Amino acid sequence: MPCFSKFSLPSGFFVDFGIFFGYDEIIAAIHVISVSIVWRMEMPISHKNSEGKTYKNDCVLIVPNTIIFHDCPISDWLFGFLGLVPCLHDLLHSDEQSCSSCKEEQKFSGSLPCPDDLLHSNKQSDSSGRDRHKSTGSAPCLDDLLHSGRRSCRGSRDPQKSSGPQKRLEQLLSQSGNKICADCGSPDPKWVSISFGVFICIKCSGVHRSLGVHLTKVLSIKLDEWTDEQVNTLIDLGGNTAANKKYEAFIPDDYQKPKSDASIEERSDFIRRKYEQKQFSNCDGHMSCPFPGPRSTLSSSCSSHCSPQDKKQYEKQATRHRIGNAFRNSWGRKDTEYKNNKKSNSLAAMVEFVGLIKVNVVKGTNLAVRDVLTSDPYVVLTLGQQSVRTRVIKNNLNPIWNESLMLSIPEQIPPLKVLVYDKDKFTTDDFMGEAEIDIQPLVSAAKAYENSTITESMQLGKWIAGQDNTLVKDGIISLADGKVKQEISLKLKNVERGVLEIELECVPLTQ
Amino acid sequence: MGILFSKMFSSVFGNKEARILVLGLDNAGKTTILYRLQMGEVVSTIPTIGFNVETVQYNNIKFQVWDLGGQTSIRPYWRCYFPNTQAIIYVVDSSDVDRLVIAKDEFHAILEEEELRGAIVLIFANKQDLPGALDDAAVTEALELHKIKNRQWAIFKTSAIKGEGLFEGLDWLSNTLKSGGG
Repeated sequence: MPCFSKFSLPSGFFVDFGIFFGYDEIIAAIHVISVSIVWRMEMPISHKNSEGKTYKNDCVLIVPNTIIFHDCPISDWLFGFLGLVPCLHDLLHSDEQSCSSCKEEQKFSGSLPCPDDLLHSNKQSDSSGRDRHKSTGSAPCLDDLLHSGRRSCRGSRDPQKSSGPQKRLEQLLSQSGNKICADCGSPDPKWVSISFGVFICIKCSGVHRSLGVHLTKVLSIKLDEWTDEQVNTLIDLGGNTAANKKYEAFIPDDYQKPKSDASIEERSDFIRRKYEQKQFSNCDGHMSCPFPGPRSTLSSSCSSHCSPQDKKQYEKQATRHRIGNAFRNSWGRKDTEYKNNKKSNSLAAMVEFVGLIKVNVVKGTNLAVRDVLTSDPYVVLTLGQQSVRTRVIKNNLNPIWNESLMLSIPEQIPPLKVLVYDKDKFTTDDFMGEAEIDIQPLVSAAKAYENSTITESMQLGKWIAGQDNTLVKDGIISLADGKVKQEISLKLKNVERGVLEIELECVPLTQ
Repeated sequence: MGILFSKMFSSVFGNKEARILVLGLDNAGKTTILYRLQMGEVVSTIPTIGFNVETVQYNNIKFQVWDLGGQTSIRPYWRCYFPNTQAIIYVVDSSDVDRLVIAKDEFHAILEEEELRGAIVLIFANKQDLPGALDDAAVTEALELHKIKNRQWAIFKTSAIKGEGLFEGLDWLSNTLKSGGG
């Protein structure tokens, strides 16, 4: 249930607060009427609760008129908080209470006022601390805005989470050793090799998967359903600390473990040595031989130290790597020596998607004429490397496609490009205009409301029609039936005429 | 001029287009198969959260191949892609014997979908290069393929890593599509 309260700003603005909670994320939206200035800001917003704990909102979105806070780690979506701060500042000081964290905030930002107390007014005691928030940084403290609503909204879905394998899994994940990838040290691993009981990042999970299930079985913490039995196995294995004690017991001092930015080849090499060949394990026979570095070929000096058995093993391994490199020749895509353009496509298989976007291409109005009197229009949608298209509607300048197309949203969200063409049988299709849509606000709104239980429809934000775009009317982001959608109607660019109407819906897939 | 002629040729003699979905449990090898078909290479993959879509031209057919993520909670989204699909490539990790039952259940759930009623089905018994991989006969039995009714289907032993069996499967697919199936 959202809790709303209204504040009057000295400058004559009005601020609406809508506060509510999702599955396990705090979400708050501030709807500011009449503030439409948007700035970009590269700063996390943190806030303090009444017990003095500082929490950080990693993600703040301000589309014109609306701010959404939540704590998912997408820091590039920090839009225009500055535009709102002066208002909140005034508000805050009109509310006269002292702001506990203003000093810290000065340190952080220099000038940002703290709208902390704005919420004190209707605040009750705060509920439990949220451990998974890192208490880093100090910045404007909008937290109470969140906390004020927590008492009433929190808990309705908690019982579902408090028991069951998923909850136990999350407890396990909160152990210190499990907060970084067991193989490369990347923070916040979201995948598990259930065979070795290690928490790993998505890239290392890719290598584990390639070894085959007879060696290592990989599950996603969020995207797979876990059984109690699987969680028990994981608990028995002891997590990253225990596993690395075992599988990295005899790792040579000079051996460089892959880091979070390691190439796939480095990861693959290490993971194979660690789990497949168990070269660093605490088991007999392997300890006597000094270990060659990851890239080093078998030098005679090394092999001279080795027992014949070890030598044989190394040779076998070297062959394996040769074969491996031959067939995985596309793996080093980051390497600059790559010349073949086509091969850079192999990046595609390494793109991490954060969700899906459904694009309903509704209709075109008054489109340009490209054949004698009319056109055969179709629409191509491009998002990063993906491209999809609608059917062709013949002889129609006001086509109604009403066709739903879906695209995956990459982590680095590119703009959605919309191109309209006239289908020609025997010649190249003619261009009928284009448009570009920034889908970041929609994606962040969808992420913020992903787990919300709100059933009533509400407006989350909008893309305002103005001089810097060709919108016919404001592109409103709304929440209806739990779906976050945006309706957009825009004039096509680089063409004499034509308006296109599309509806976007974002389905976030949280890993 | 040459382009014009080739365009005329293809439009007269039917450069067919087909929409193909690649489905299967997580880590069956769907993405590896897609890029092996598209680029002829083995690429390193990470789990697909979402989907990949690529165009593969083969035997005069332009296949638009959709590789959909296979994790448990992504599978419900598969149905969004079902409309207008001519063929399904269902990929099974033949070495993941423990999960063949789940693979079977998902497979038969797909076949019951109304929107896929006309789609032909190609099954890839993948990862034949791994130890303990079941052969096509064993996978046929495990997936209970004999229960398939009113639909053209075929199963091939494949190894996406070695590149074996994939194009044989695509041959069957293109021949079946050309002869009017799907």
